[in-house]
Amino acid sequence: MAGRTGAALGGRTAAGWELRQPYDAKIVALVLLVVLGLGVSAQRVEGQRFLALSWEWAQSLVGLRESSQIGQGLARMGESLFPPQLGERTEVSRIESFDPGRLPWFSRIERQESREVRVNRETLRTETHVAVREFLVQPVGYLWRVAVKMVETLEIALWGTILAVVVSVPLAIGGARNYTPSPGVYAAARGLVSFLRAIPEMISALFLVLAYGFGPIAGILALGLHAAGFLGKFYAEDVENADRGPQEALQAIGAGKLKVLWFGVLPQVFPQYIAYTLYILDRNVRMAIVIGIVGAGGIGQELKGRYDMFNYGHVSTILLALFVTVFILDQVSARIRARLI
Amino acid sequence: MLSFVAAGKIFPDGTRALRSVTLHVPRGQFCVVLGPSGAGKSTLLRLVNGLVEPTAGVVRVDGVAVTRRTLAAVRPRVAMIHQQFNLSPRLSVAKNVLAGSLPAVSTARALLHLFPAGLRRRACELIARVGLDAEHLHRRASDLSGGQQQRVGIARAFILDPAVVLADEPVASLDPNISRDILALLRQASKERGATVLCSLHQVDLAREFAERVIGVHSGEIVYDGPAADLDDATLTLIYHQTRPGSPVPATAAVEAGGRR
Repeated sequence: MAGRTGAALGGRTAAGWELRQPYDAKIVALVLLVVLGLGVSAQRVEGQRFLALSWEWAQSLVGLRESSQIGQGLARMGESLFPPQLGERTEVSRIESFDPGRLPWFSRIERQESREVRVNRETLRTETHVAVREFLVQPVGYLWRVAVKMVETLEIALWGTILAVVVSVPLAIGGARNYTPSPGVYAAARGLVSFLRAIPEMISALFLVLAYGFGPIAGILALGLHAAGFLGKFYAEDVENADRGPQEALQAIGAGKLKVLWFGVLPQVFPQYIAYTLYILDRNVRMAIVIGIVGAGGIGQELKGRYDMFNYGHVSTILLALFVTVFILDQVSARIRARLI
Repeated sequence: MLSFVAAGKIFPDGTRALRSVTLHVPRGQFCVVLGPSGAGKSTLLRLVNGLVEPTAGVVRVDGVAVTRRTLAAVRPRVAMIHQQFNLSPRLSVAKNVLAGSLPAVSTARALLHLFPAGLRRRACELIARVGLDAEHLHRRASDLSGGQQQRVGIARAFILDPAVVLADEPVASLDPNISRDILALLRQASKERGATVLCSLHQVDLAREFAERVIGVHSGEIVYDGPAADLDDATLTLIYHQTRPGSPVPATAAVEAGGRR
């Protein structure tokens, strides 16, 4: 309060004041205990074997050992992944309604003669048969196929993100303490948001594949619901933490809650929303690849198929495509961010 | 006409912000509230638009008591100008001024940002009136200087032709020259439109220059009420250095405050 005059200034003594050390023996003991606990846990997760194998590998790298398990494994993987399989070669007789007059782009037909020497059982003479087989060769056929699958993955990620935004906005309003219509709605919204976030995409995709069958629908739903859990939480916390000033200014003149939210809060939190949403899109692209493995469509499904058939050349094409896609995506989202914020 | 009748406020934490304030401000008066920090100036202003509910007494705007039930009707008639301007930072100047008309616009229009032509016209006129240029219309409010932001705040306050304008330390974050411009603008705008102004300040010289009437508040009580011309050193001591907290109000102060009412 005002009215206090100079008499109070400087009239204090520091008697009884004390500045303690920032930590004491109890905290040191606690830290040691935690380190001990981590040591025990490291044993349980094969920490020793990890160190042994890595040491072995390091020795072989500098020439102290002939070979190492890790080195062999990596070499085997490198050999089988190289070269990437770009083309496709299909026997013409296996293609339904094949029309030699209308070949796909960049493709050609190769003929292959194979001679077989057989013994004719009736004449008991050897005979040479010449069989001609025709192959349709598409030099970048497989790459094209991967590209198409990759686009499907991107579409799954995009729709998953759209679904997440649509679901999370009402959840965020209901789950923001200062805008929720009632405490019951608040609890329900926050609960649902936590629930959605708690189930990993991979697990929900597994079940959604059972419900909707293999393909993109399961993927979109799995990604969208999980991401809605994230966005719902982040959006709600931003709404709660937005600067009160502009909101109060609009409340003071009698604007309703929704209008205040729209004009007093949204302009403040918008850049953050864009950042979150782009992050979710980025994450969804990577997750769309992974959940393809349980049959939720896109490039992941192709990857899983090729991996199971030991077609490592195909696998390496897919991996390269993944790398390129994620890289391009990073660039694009950085551009969008810079423009919108 | 704005009136406080025995209005008091005790906050839930026990702070007694206003004791028992009785005050009548006639239509169109430019009334400045002076007082040290924590004297209850903000609370006094906030009682008028219901941002603070009185724990005793009643506040009336044009005869209508401000209660929860009448809040929706009262608030659009009472504009407010804030110390920190309180503009929406990333919204354009035009949108910020238009936001002042939100209570008069349907929710659908508001959500789509489609304001009626009449309001858009009026927003332009007000923005020109407060001394900003056409190039400012689409600038983000947060990109403007403090003085310019407060000009936007004034334009926003007047878009619905309010009966009362509350200005809560409108120039506390501005430098002296700009403060003078802003207060001149506020006073002129309110005179043109016949709006009653209740403006809290902490610069005595500005109060002398602009106020038609000065209300001195100390520890939640009105200790001075009179024309700005009568603000002498004795009155200022009364308002600013009256007593230590907890000691009784000197009899002279009570007499003087009462006598001038």
